[in-house]
Amino acid sequence: MNSSSAFRNLLLKKDEVAERWKRTGRPVIGWTCSYVPEEVIYASEALPVMIFGDTEETTLADAYLPVNSCSFSRSCLNSALKGKYRYLDGYVTSNSCDSRNKIFDMWKHHTEIPHFYFINTPRTRFGDSRDFFYEETVRFKAFLEETFGQAISDVKLREAIAAYNENRNYLREVYALRRQSPPLISGVEAVEIVLSSMVIRKEEHNELLRERLSDISDQANPPREGLRVLISGSVMDDTRLLKVIEDLGCNVVADDLCTGSRYFWENVESKDDPLKAIARRYLGKAPSSFMVDQEARIKHTMAMVEKFHVEAAIIIDLKFCDNHLFDAVVFTTAFKAAGLPVLHLEYEHSLGGLLQLRTRIEAFVEMVRGVV
Amino acid sequence: MNQLKPARRPTVTRGFYRKHVHPFYETAHQAKTDGKPVAWVASTFPVEVLSALDVIPVWPENYAALCASMHASVELCEKAEKEGFSKDLCSYARCVIGSLQDSPSLPENGLPKPDLLVASTCACDTHMKWFQVVSQRLNVPFYLLDAPHLTFNRHGEALQDYHVKFYVSQLKSVIHLIETQLGTELDDSKLKEAVKLSDHTSRLWGEIQAYRKAIPTPMGARDAFSAVFFMLSMPSSHQAIEFYTLLRNELKERVANQFGLLENEECRLVWDNLPLWFDLGLFQYLNSLNAVVVAETFSHVWMGELNPSKPLESLAEKYLLNFANCSIEKKINLMVTFVKEHRADGVILPTNWGCRMMSVGETLVKEAIAEKLNVPSLIIEVDSSDWRRYDEGYVKRRLKIFLDMLRQTKTSR
Ligand code: SF4
Ligand code: SF4
Repeated sequence: MNSSSAFRNLLLKKDEVAERWKRTGRPVIGWTCSYVPEEVIYASEALPVMIFGDTEETTLADAYLPVNSCSFSRSCLNSALKGKYRYLDGYVTSNSCDSRNKIFDMWKHHTEIPHFYFINTPRTRFGDSRDFFYEETVRFKAFLEETFGQAISDVKLREAIAAYNENRNYLREVYALRRQSPPLISGVEAVEIVLSSMVIRKEEHNELLRERLSDISDQANPPREGLRVLISGSVMDDTRLLKVIEDLGCNVVADDLCTGSRYFWENVESKDDPLKAIARRYLGKAPSSFMVDQEARIKHTMAMVEKFHVEAAIIIDLKFCDNHLFDAVVFTTAFKAAGLPVLHLEYEHSLGGLLQLRTRIEAFVEMVRGVV
Repeated sequence: MNQLKPARRPTVTRGFYRKHVHPFYETAHQAKTDGKPVAWVASTFPVEVLSALDVIPVWPENYAALCASMHASVELCEKAEKEGFSKDLCSYARCVIGSLQDSPSLPENGLPKPDLLVASTCACDTHMKWFQVVSQRLNVPFYLLDAPHLTFNRHGEALQDYHVKFYVSQLKSVIHLIETQLGTELDDSKLKEAVKLSDHTSRLWGEIQAYRKAIPTPMGARDAFSAVFFMLSMPSSHQAIEFYTLLRNELKERVANQFGLLENEECRLVWDNLPLWFDLGLFQYLNSLNAVVVAETFSHVWMGELNPSKPLESLAEKYLLNFANCSIEKKINLMVTFVKEHRADGVILPTNWGCRMMSVGETLVKEAIAEKLNVPSLIIEVDSSDWRRYDEGYVKRRLKIFLDMLRQTKTSR
C-alpha cells in the first residue's frame, strides 16, 4: 500500500479502527458537528469519531424521516439503525441546525447508545456568548468525567491540544500542495485525508501524515492541469461528488466545507487555561452557516480563493439544508463580485440524479473554458 | 355531505380579517407614516419588550399567511426562487423575500418598511437566515436574540438556570441595541405593564382553549387559527384582552348550553403545526364529515405565565420552554395532554415542506401517542403557503379513510 491510499483505507476501515480502540477498554464517542470540542473527548482517553453516513440506500431511516429532510443526517441515522454504530459509548451533538436537533431525538429513541450529550453553541462569537460557550465546555468536560470515570487534567488537555494542533498544521500543509498548477495532490485525496483524521486518534493520523508529506510524489495518478475550483457547502462525508467534478476536468483546489477547511484551519492558541483556549478556538473559528457572522465566513472563503488561485466556484448544498441554501444566494453574489463564475447545485447524499448533476457540471466547465 | 351551518361558528370571530387583521396593517402603515419605529419580528421573539419600547411590531410570518389566504403567496415565492432561493426553503420566507420587490399589487400594500428587524433562535434556523436576507436587501439593522436549545436530560429536566441567565443577557443586549438605535430608553414600569397585559391575554386564551374541551366543542380550528392572531401579534394590548374576553364569554355560554360547532360531533381531532393558509376550507371539509379539531399546538406556542415582578426572567422561561425550542419530548407531552384532556379520537400531524422543525420528528409523536394512549395519528404532507406542494385530492382521501377508521374503532369500543 502506498501512503496515498492509506487514508482511503482508513475511511473504509473506520469501524474496525473504532472496534479495536474499544477492545482496549476505552470509550468511543461519536460527534456530529465541527463545533464539538474534540480535544476534550480526546483528553478523556476516548476515541472521538465523526458520525458519517454511507453510500447504501436509506430504507430503514426512510420509515422515520420525511422526504423533505436532510439526506446526510438520514444516511447517518440509517447506518445506526443498521447497527453499524453499535460500538459507540456516547453521541454528542451541537445545535447547529434544526435537522440535527430533531435527529438527536431520533438517535436517542431508536438506538441503544448509552449516553447522549447536547452542547449549545451560541451563534455569536463575542462577549457573553464566549463565556457561555466556555461554560458549556466545562459542563461537557464534567459530563465526560462523570460518565466515563476518567479525570481530564490540564496536562491531558495540553497533550490533546498539541496533537490536534500538529494535525491541523499538517492538514494545512496538505492543502498547500494544491496551490500550484497542476496541484500536487487531488482534491479527492485532500478531502479524504481530512475525513480520515476524524476516525482515528490524532497521534496516529499525524504519523500517517508525516509519511505522506515526506514523499508527495508517491501516487499512481498525479493530477493533471484543470479548471481550479473551490467547493462551498456543508458536510461531505465521502468524495464521490468531488471525484465526478475532478473527472470532468476540474482540480478541486480549495473548499469551504464543515468537513474541509473549516474543520481545521485555526489552531488552539494555548495560553494558561487550556479549556478556555479550546472553547475560544471552536467558537472563534471560521464560522459555519448557522453562525450569525456571515461576513466572516465569506472572508474565510475569499481568502481561500486568493490563496489557491481559484478560477471558479461550485456551491454544493445538500437538499433541505436551510442554512446553507439561504447562504447560497449571498455566496453566489460574493463569488460573482470577485469575478468568479459560480454554479449552485443541490444534491442528495445518495447522489440520486447523478446524471443530471454531471450534465450541469460539464456544461459549467465548458462555459467557463469558453470564457477563460 | 352535510353542509356546515355558518351560524354555528362563534359570532365574535366572524369577519375576523376585515375587523381585526386589515385594520392592524392599516394602523402599522399609518404609524410608519407618522414616523413611529416599526420592527419586523419573527415569532418567538419576546414582543412584550417591543411594546414597552413603543416599537410597532409587524410579523412577516403573519403576512405570508395572509398572502397565502389571498392566494398571492405562490407568485411571490416564485419571485424569490428566480433570485436563487431554493424551492425547498420555508414558503413564508420565500413569500416575504418575493414581496421585497416593488409591486403595485401586494396584499395590504406590503409590510410597512422596517426600521429594525428582530428574531430569536427559539423556533427555527429559517428566522435568522431569512431576516439576514431582508436586512441586507433593505439595509436595516437586524438584532438576533440567541437562545439555547433545550434538551431533556436523564432526569427529564430541560430548563436550567444558566439557560435563563444567558437568554436574559442576550435579551438585554438586544434591548440595548434598540435603545441606542432609536435614542430611547426602556422604562421599567412600562415593561412590567406589558408583561402583565401579556400574562392576562395568555390566561384568557388559556380559558378559551379549556372551553374547547367540552363535548360538543364550541369552536374548531378555523376560528382558533384566526383568533390566535392577537396572541401572536399584540399580546400586550387592551384590544387583545377585550377580544378574548368576548370570545371567552361566548364560548362559556355555548358550553353551558351544550351548543357545539357541529350538530353531530363524531370525531374529535388534535392538529399539530400550521394550517394550510391557502385552504382553510379543509377544516370545513372535516366538519362536513362530522369531525372537528378541538386543539392545535399552534394555539399553544405563545402561551405562558409571566411574572411582572421578574419581567425578563419570566419572558426567558416562557419563550425558552416553547416546544419548538425543546427536544421532541416536550411536544409529545403537550400532544398527549391535548388528546387526554380534550378527549380526542385522533391526531393529524401535518408536516410543512419548507420547515424542518415541523416535519422531522413527527413519527416519534405518532409512535408515542399510539403507545401511551392507543390513539391513532395521521401524518400528511402539506405546506403552509405553497400550494404547489399540496395534493388536495390525495390528502382529502387519506383524511376520509382516517376518519372512517376512527369511527369504526369508536363504535367497536
Ligand atoms: S447538511 Fe445541513 S441540514 Fe444536514 S446536518 Fe448538516 S447543516 Fe444540518
Ligand atoms: S414555518 Fe418553520 S421554517 Fe418557516 S418560519 Fe415557521 S418555524 Fe421557521
